[in-house]
Amino acid sequence: MIDSLRGAVAAEWTKLSSVRSTWWTVLAGLLVMAAGAGQLAIYVANGNTNDDPTDNAGVVTAGRVMIDAVELTQYAVLALGLLAVTAEFTSGTIRTTLQCTPSRGRVLLAKAVVAGAVTFVLGLLLGGVGALVARPVLGEWGSAPAAGTIGDIVAVATYLALVGVLAVGLGAALRSAVLTIIVLLATLMIVPLSLQEPDIAVLNRIADVFPGVAGGHFLAGDTDPYPGAVGLLLLAGWAAAALLLGRAALRRRDA
Amino acid sequence: MITLRGLTKRFGATVAVDVLTVDVAPGRVTGFLGPNGAGKSTTMRMILGLDRPTAGQALVGGRAYRELRRPLREVGALLDARAIHPARSGRAHLRAMARSNGIPAGRVDEVLDIVGLDARAAAKPGRTLSLGMGQRLGIAGALLGDPPVLMFDEPVNGLDPDGVRWVRQLTRTLADEGRTVFVSSHLMSEMQLTADQLVVIGRGRLLADAPVAEVIAGSGVAVRVRGPHPDGLATLAAHLTAAGATVEPAGPDELTVTGTTADRVGDLAHELGVRLHELSAHSASLEQAFMELTADSVEYAGGPTGGGTR
Ligand SMILES: Nc1ncnc2c1ncn2[C@@H]1O[C@H](COP(=O)(O)OP(=O)(O)O)[C@@H](O)[C@H]1O
Ligand SMILES: [Mg+2]
Repeated sequence: MIDSLRGAVAAEWTKLSSVRSTWWTVLAGLLVMAAGAGQLAIYVANGNTNDDPTDNAGVVTAGRVMIDAVELTQYAVLALGLLAVTAEFTSGTIRTTLQCTPSRGRVLLAKAVVAGAVTFVLGLLLGGVGALVARPVLGEWGSAPAAGTIGDIVAVATYLALVGVLAVGLGAALRSAVLTIIVLLATLMIVPLSLQEPDIAVLNRIADVFPGVAGGHFLAGDTDPYPGAVGLLLLAGWAAAALLLGRAALRRRDA
Repeated sequence: MITLRGLTKRFGATVAVDVLTVDVAPGRVTGFLGPNGAGKSTTMRMILGLDRPTAGQALVGGRAYRELRRPLREVGALLDARAIHPARSGRAHLRAMARSNGIPAGRVDEVLDIVGLDARAAAKPGRTLSLGMGQRLGIAGALLGDPPVLMFDEPVNGLDPDGVRWVRQLTRTLADEGRTVFVSSHLMSEMQLTADQLVVIGRGRLLADAPVAEVIAGSGVAVRVRGPHPDGLATLAAHLTAAGATVEPAGPDELTVTGTTADRVGDLAHELGVRLHELSAHSASLEQAFMELTADSVEYAGGPTGGGTR
């Protein structure tokens, strides 16, 4: 069992690392993060120095700016988890994969392990780059306490790993890349934003359960509406549910 | 050894595979013959646990494919030569397969060598492979685990005459090594040259399961036996088998008997008191039967429901 999971993981890593689009996606993520963190840092510095007192953020940590830049960067990272699954259905290699590893659960677990590990490491890299870019741009309006920044970077990596796993599970359930992207955009952003729009308490509470919002509370280290750890658990719950859904679909449907 | 027992697959209203009961034995090449849309690929997908049977079962070495721990070491299969990631090299494709089943990386080079793909071809991304190279890569994947059972779905499609001859030799060699070799084709002429045993299907139903020599000689007069009592038919079948005839269930109330005559079947049924509703001899050669079926399915393909085959 453990042995064949190890084999399946090794195979998934071989597949992911042997297509160039994986590395382009990594590069795209790094560029989006650098650009996003730089731009957000400029906004902070400008806000503090312009004539408008309402947008003064004061001194901000580089980690905070980097976390804000994740909102956009995450879509490049999502693509990794997503493509690891949907490309198999597009190209027909899913049949080869299931021939090699007939256990649907093991195939999906292996994909989740690889996508999760890759996006975690990538998350560390992205967090580091984001903080490194943000700090000098913030200038006198920025700070980067070592422990806090490292904590933020690890939190971002954790968040991205879970979102990557979420994408794997949804991809297996939906099979189409476009459909999966749409559902991910909807659950991460569109639906919770729409719920929050009218600013009604009940709707806000519902929005707080969505994975993107829960992850946001975790990254911000919020205490309200729930502690950051609860946000992390909620996000992990979504990722696990997506995997179970994906496994059920793989088991039930013909390949 | 591949064992199919009442294997059935329906896609909506389409019956792709219809109560197929076949044993594919080791040590010989078994041709799986039938016109396009007959259900060959679907049968192979069910053997590999990819499609779920609607009814019946498919076993490899007595076990369901989904239960196999290291399946590539037990069954090697070429299904669809185009099923490779457009950006992944053939070598990486094989390496991933090898790693999944704990097969040493050196084996990848061995099988590439066996199928005649050189280092340059193996490094090319999937989208640039010709159909013929794809077939060779697919066969390389099938050989990776050195398995005792091999299945090739239309392996000569897209191959040049040299390639076709090579596949013929390869399947022969594999069978001579004592492996079970199950090769599908929609071409009778190809199967005549490749196979020892023929399993013929049309519209999902078994039409024949006999040695090629017998099929070609047209010697096997098939007797169709139909009766209302399944138990009676089973008794009759048992006695016919004991008397040296070959009996195949052709449906819930129907048998196809070869290696005997209609007279002998009728006498035996009378002795056993088995009620029959039909007893008829079919002397048309298999080739003719096959041609008729092909004509049938060509009609079908032109009709409004003629969907794509996979
Ligand atoms: N996934 C599917 N969905 C619906 N019908 C299918 C599917 N796969 C095969 N079929 C149908 O099942 C029948 C058998 O197809 P197939 O097994 O591909 O035949 P063959 O390989 O002998 O050409 C055909 O009528 C085909 O259209
Ligand atoms: Mg076919």
